[in-house]
Amino acid sequence: MIPGLVQILLWQGGGELVSHFFLPHIPGPVVGLVLLLCFLAVRDRVPDSMALVSDAFSQHLGLLFVPAATGVILFLPQLRQHALAVIVALLVSVLLTVAVTALVLKLVGPGGEGE
Amino acid sequence: MNKRLPIQEIWVYLSGSPLLALILTLTAYQIGYALYMRSQRNPLVNPVAIAVLLVAVCLEILDMPYAKYFEGAQFVHFLLGTATVSLAIPIYRGLSGLRGRVFPLLLALVAGGLTSIFSAVGIAHWLGADHAIVGAMVSKSVTAPIAMGIAERLGYSPTLTAVFAVITGILGAILARFVLDGLGMKVWWQRGFAIGVAAHGLGTSRAFSVHPEAGTYASLAMGLHGILGAVAIPLLAGYIPTF
Repeated sequence: MIPGLVQILLWQGGGELVSHFFLPHIPGPVVGLVLLLCFLAVRDRVPDSMALVSDAFSQHLGLLFVPAATGVILFLPQLRQHALAVIVALLVSVLLTVAVTALVLKLVGPGGEGE
Repeated sequence: MNKRLPIQEIWVYLSGSPLLALILTLTAYQIGYALYMRSQRNPLVNPVAIAVLLVAVCLEILDMPYAKYFEGAQFVHFLLGTATVSLAIPIYRGLSGLRGRVFPLLLALVAGGLTSIFSAVGIAHWLGADHAIVGAMVSKSVTAPIAMGIAERLGYSPTLTAVFAVITGILGAILARFVLDGLGMKVWWQRGFAIGVAAHGLGTSRAFSVHPEAGTYASLAMGLHGILGAVAIPLLAGYIPTF
């Protein structure tokens, strides 16, 4: 697991550097993600230790945004004031997004029947 | 020297170290995750929402300012970046099984991504939400770690973005199937991809619990939406009226 973690941290570091010097509008970790994706495509396989780290992260991704999301307590008065707008916007938006994505796939997708 | 520390001094000592914030964060998440598993992964029993609620109540009881808590919890927060990089692995796995579906998938992703931004921003503004809230709507359909990075670069609140992303994930995980059934979508990979575009991580875990092919495509959609969002949203930002 450790070699995988070291490699991922190195890609993150590389991503931060590229983002800082060349692509300031893209967050460093996303640049790191794309670099790592290219590396995996070239190698054509995922090293086992890296897969272990990735699976652990994906399983508990939610834990990592608890500290930031708890900051919601600072916005409570504002959210209460605009509660209706927030709920309706989020609800309608997610339903529309599912519908539009699905319809585009249905219209342009390769004949999906029987797959 | 051997005098017993009064409880207050113990408290001052503990609250000065990151330990307390870390224990709070991890314990709250552990409780949330246990409840989630016990509910057979019911999307309504969301571990993040439960954890946030528990931490918030504890901070209130302990009279601990949020800034102080975050100082300690930032060690967990830091790992978001590392977790984002590691999303490359599920994306790679998803991409390697694609077989000529790249064009329809990208088209659907772009259409879905634009819909999510403009519908949320438009409705929130129409119903009178303020600038901070409308701005945090922009990247809410992107997976939370990336959405927060995008919000930060654009000068919107990463916190509100994370909260909206989590709510979006919960709503999408619960409601997407009704939309898909209503539209008569029967192909698993199409259903999965639509859920992944709209409701990122939570939608993906829901899709996996229904059908493995749906899950794989949902996770691919979430990853691609993350990359596309990070690249395109800052470029689009000038055209998104956040008022």
